[in-house]
Amino acid sequence: MSGAIAILGAGGFVGARMLEMSFLAGRTDIVPVVRSFRSVARVANLGMSHRLGDASQPESLERALAGCEVVVNLTTGDPADILRTTRSIYRAAVASGVRLLIHASSATVYGQVAQPDLPDDSPPQLDHWMPYAREKGLAENFLRDMMAERRLDIVVLRPGLIWGPRSPWVIRPAVQLASGSAYLVGDGGGICNLIYVDNLVRSIEAVIAHPRQVSGFYNVADDETTTWREYYAAFAAGLGVDPATVHTVPADRFRTGLGGLAEELKKLPPYQWLKYRLSPETKSAIKLRLKLAFDRDGPAQSGNSASPEVTRDMWHLQTTRHPLPTSRFKAAFGHQNRSSFASGLAASLAWLRFTGFDQGRAQDSPGQGSAP
Amino acid sequence: MTLELMAVGCGTVFDQYYLPALQKLESRGMVRVVALVDPNPGRTAGIQKHFPSAGAFATPAEAFAVTTPDLTIIASPPNLHAEHALSAFRAGSHVLCEKPMAASVGDAERMVAAASAAKRVLAVGMTRRMYPCLTEARALIASGALGDDLSFVYREGGVYGWPVSTDFAFRRATAGGGVLIDKGTHVLDFLAALFGRPTAAAYADDGYTEGVETNCRIGVEFPGARGTVQLSWSQPLVNGFHVHGSAGELTLHPWRLDAVRFRKKGGPWETRISAATWPGDLRQEGKRGTPWTYEECVYYQIVQSLRAVTHGEPVPVTGEDGLLIVHTIDSCYRRATPLRLEWLPEAEQAQADSRHWSRRQ
Repeated sequence: MSGAIAILGAGGFVGARMLEMSFLAGRTDIVPVVRSFRSVARVANLGMSHRLGDASQPESLERALAGCEVVVNLTTGDPADILRTTRSIYRAAVASGVRLLIHASSATVYGQVAQPDLPDDSPPQLDHWMPYAREKGLAENFLRDMMAERRLDIVVLRPGLIWGPRSPWVIRPAVQLASGSAYLVGDGGGICNLIYVDNLVRSIEAVIAHPRQVSGFYNVADDETTTWREYYAAFAAGLGVDPATVHTVPADRFRTGLGGLAEELKKLPPYQWLKYRLSPETKSAIKLRLKLAFDRDGPAQSGNSASPEVTRDMWHLQTTRHPLPTSRFKAAFGHQNRSSFASGLAASLAWLRFTGFDQGRAQDSPGQGSAP
Repeated sequence: MTLELMAVGCGTVFDQYYLPALQKLESRGMVRVVALVDPNPGRTAGIQKHFPSAGAFATPAEAFAVTTPDLTIIASPPNLHAEHALSAFRAGSHVLCEKPMAASVGDAERMVAAASAAKRVLAVGMTRRMYPCLTEARALIASGALGDDLSFVYREGGVYGWPVSTDFAFRRATAGGGVLIDKGTHVLDFLAALFGRPTAAAYADDGYTEGVETNCRIGVEFPGARGTVQLSWSQPLVNGFHVHGSAGELTLHPWRLDAVRFRKKGGPWETRISAATWPGDLRQEGKRGTPWTYEECVYYQIVQSLRAVTHGEPVPVTGEDGLLIVHTIDSCYRRATPLRLEWLPEAEQAQADSRHWSRRQ
């Protein structure tokens, strides 16, 4: 391969890990592309040269992709921007003469994986209640149409929950277990559909290295089928938390709690409008006064006492019944899952320890609290 | 009395923190912003809208040729702080320099010497010194409430979210380093305010040959206290400051700037609210207030710097204080070793070790 590999969304969780793995493997053909300079900070230790490219400004993206043979789209952000961003990236890739566009979609486009052996090119569920899933589905449909035009090779990867060090899917269970607010829906027998972040990066690398045209849709997931009960039990054991503290919530239907309502409110346009218009000073003053108004300011909690806050997305994820079929990817690109569940868990626990995580202190969780 | 003020460096720090504070000060008649300096005319033009009396200049030399402000706020990239401060002192202006004071010990020493020779105030913008909780923590420690053999852990980390307008903070040549220079300057100064002179005993980070550190861990000792500081730009940490002594322990309140949590050995936790206040204007017996937010701390810090000019009062952080922190950071970098990232596969850890920036020397 002669050209470079552009990583869009290089400052995100997966993008940063892909850069780190590539750097430590001695690769020199990676071009990180970020929307703004702040995204450089996360990987500033690597000392790589970044290019600025904003999908909302196609000409800037086109400049960023100059000389690149492959584009890996790992961008994240507001669901409302997903389709527009995908179109913009595709057009910039075509204009720049890119050979291969790898687009990270999500298994959420399927909803809850309602049947076993779901074909990889099954159409996305466009009436999904979750805006993220709907918009990812619309982006997939756009790329499906563009595949037919054959102007470049397009590979859409559909990972499930991407876990590992620094993942929200590690932080969330650890925080919940430590605070006693972890919960399982029903008997916890729902399927997690996990993919360890390193396995995902290796899958992307395998697509890049593939010698032939391979346009299409491919599910990617870890080899093991892990239930939510097993996932929480593994973290509970690793963190020294009594698994009996994990709550059970009914599986018959989702019931919104106060926390869920607050989350829904945050997604409403007026909240989003205000969020981006208030000055930082006003935002901090409002936050502080709200906290002072509602804070009970009790002593430091010893953990294992909080109530679960069941969110709609978590409830739906936990009611997934079938594992994501991945045989199509393996047939095309080979087996890339070198990290097992056990090794991924060990790495995730090592990372939690590095962050200072201590299950005995409910308020001591990564990202919680702030040292002023 | 209205003091004239110049700002050198009109990037994100100025825009987010100094601009609102200076608007307040100008509306209250305490200052008049007379000059804005930045090589990017778009930035000065954007800020000029808020300060009608201010002229826009590309360099400090151009500005000092037409005006001599009472106080110059320096918020330019750290590698330019010394040059800009020295220009200000030569022109006869006092200086409030944003942290980090300088990108090298040599620069910081030149700044202190120049301020002394010009008999001008050199204040360093370490906003956390204005936190009322610092006063409360210091009083508790000084009273012996924690006993002796003090040990502490200070962790501060999260994915970097500061809306920077350039990448100078991520290059060793312009910033001098990474998260240690950025967050570590604040943290080490906060600890120095509590415990006294710091000595770096151990230091490890994750910077590679061409990069700057995004994670670091410092073993640091003070007269009567020792502990660990851990900082991150790339990932969330279990943030907080916890001091443990033979007779009790103390933590900062997770989100209140005016409170600490304290408990005697074996006793229940209690929240202590600080009654510390700072002058809110330039009158001798003027109004005092307690800052509740970071932005309010910036306001009080500027007021205190102005009072140093008008009344000869001490500034919260002097050039000598700032120099001490620059020395400590320099000492950290001199003893840098690779930070062990135990979650990485062994082959990657070996690569990380061999490509650590300290190996290039």
